[in-house]
Amino acid sequence: MFSQKGLSLDQAPPISVVFRFFLQGASFGILGGVLLALYQNEIFDPASKGALVLTHVFTLGIMLSVMLAALFQMLPVIAGVKLTSPAKKANWVQYPLIAGILSLLLAFHFGKIAWLYLLASLLLGGSLLFISFEMIKKLLQVPNHTSSSKGITAALFSLAILVIAALYLTATLGGYSEGIHYVQIKTAHYSFGLFGWIAVLIISISFQVIEMFYVTPPYPNFANRYLSNGILFLLAAASILSFFLPDIWMICHLILALLLSIYAIITLKRLSKRKRPVSDATVWFWRLGLGSLIISMLCFALGLFVQTAWIHALAYLFFGAFALSIVFAMFYKIIPFLTWFHLSSQGYFTAPMMHEVIHPKTAKKHFWIHCSMMTAFIMSLIVPQLIVLASLLTVLSFGWMGYQIIHAHLLYVKTQKEGHKFSMNA
Amino acid sequence: MIISHYMKHEHRLCDDYFAKAEEAASKKDWEEATKQFEIFAHETLQHFKKEEEVLFPAFEKQTGSTEGPTGVMKYEHEHVRGLIGKMAEAILDEDVDAYLSLAESMMILLQQHNMKEEQMLYAMCDRVLPVATKEETLEAMKQTEL
Ligand SMILES: [Fe+2]
Ligand SMILES: [Fe+2]
Repeated sequence: MFSQKGLSLDQAPPISVVFRFFLQGASFGILGGVLLALYQNEIFDPASKGALVLTHVFTLGIMLSVMLAALFQMLPVIAGVKLTSPAKKANWVQYPLIAGILSLLLAFHFGKIAWLYLLASLLLGGSLLFISFEMIKKLLQVPNHTSSSKGITAALFSLAILVIAALYLTATLGGYSEGIHYVQIKTAHYSFGLFGWIAVLIISISFQVIEMFYVTPPYPNFANRYLSNGILFLLAAASILSFFLPDIWMICHLILALLLSIYAIITLKRLSKRKRPVSDATVWFWRLGLGSLIISMLCFALGLFVQTAWIHALAYLFFGAFALSIVFAMFYKIIPFLTWFHLSSQGYFTAPMMHEVIHPKTAKKHFWIHCSMMTAFIMSLIVPQLIVLASLLTVLSFGWMGYQIIHAHLLYVKTQKEGHKFSMNA
Repeated sequence: MIISHYMKHEHRLCDDYFAKAEEAASKKDWEEATKQFEIFAHETLQHFKKEEEVLFPAFEKQTGSTEGPTGVMKYEHEHVRGLIGKMAEAILDEDVDAYLSLAESMMILLQQHNMKEEQMLYAMCDRVLPVATKEETLEAMKQTEL
């Protein structure tokens, strides 16, 4: 009936699961920075292999990793879903996932090696379909759905659909299929990926955490109730109709751009009405992310009518800025809170406080690194050489993130080893 | 929805005092911070008392289970009580950094707790308790003082 356990230790996954997936995301981020130095401005040509590789470093390597970290952590808390043996499931997902992402990147880079596509399909298809169905199964059993748990279910459905679409694409690229519907499936694949998976997941999580972390007025009902499922419905309808009406995606994308912009405006408004006036770096990350989403959607909508390369480039860059900013906004709350919470629940009265795990000033510095990185990317559309700076700043940004995770982990282990503990069951 | 309505209102009230205390502390206005924090602590503990002594027993009696949701809520109350003590110390020491850090943990802990109550526990109380019991419970909560 009700989630039987609260935010208590036996129900939360081991903290290592969260640390590991975040670290995976940070490592792929560093890899992305390095690859950027290799491909350079080629990435702005959507037909290039550099664009294909970098897009998947971003979506699979970075976004998917941290979103899995967030899901493993948040499903129990915000949806009352308890995954059985989370640590084991995390293993089953994590190793095939890393191997799968690397083989996919290699396949994209080298182009025509059929077995690499096959290997990537097996590893990624297997692990991602497994975990998405596992989570969906648990979510469908939840009796009291909140807007968040409904949205997360919709996002996971999108993940499953986009993976299935991807299998068709890799089969075509690997020469295992003729790919008659390649174009339609590809559009469905990235639309479900960017809108149905990334955006809907961020939206559903924000329904809960914006109110929770910043104490804001609640979201209006129409957003809360219908947005996530509405986006999923639009995507599904457009995917099916596109076999008969190829232009349907344009209408669908236009509506999606409008919906996401409205969402961003509503959320920015919540933030401006928050009761806690103290504004830390995470508030700024949210603002930057939502602002970027609006710009991205504007460019995206414009790009539907004009075929100007830089408008498309801006739409993708700002979408990346949106997703990454939200990731960092969540990261700087989740890591310190979890470290403190796990240790203090275990009874350590020497548990480090949130600010001792990651000081707000550290997060603020990262905010500026992140802003500089974004600026370098955008400026490189005008001054191509700046892409090298963007690459360096990407490495720095994710290196920074990785360092925070390792630091928190070491602090955690140290407290467990040396800390003083209350004996609770005396 | 009379239970949800009344209890949600109390949650929001506590949030207000909490935010005022936090703002004052961030400006090192310790006199104001102390004043607002004392109200926050008093209101929060009184609210917990209403839940633990009136609402939860009524719910447990109706559903016949003393474990499950109410057990979890009480466990989380203990955690919050511990933090209130630490925040009071930080105010006495006039330690801004410690206060803001504890405040951060407190807010996340308390908000996720309140959300679970509002979205699930209170909603269930409003659903399963007979009307007469609900009115009695509400009246009893209004009379409860720390
Ligand atoms: Fe409570
Ligand atoms: Fe409460």
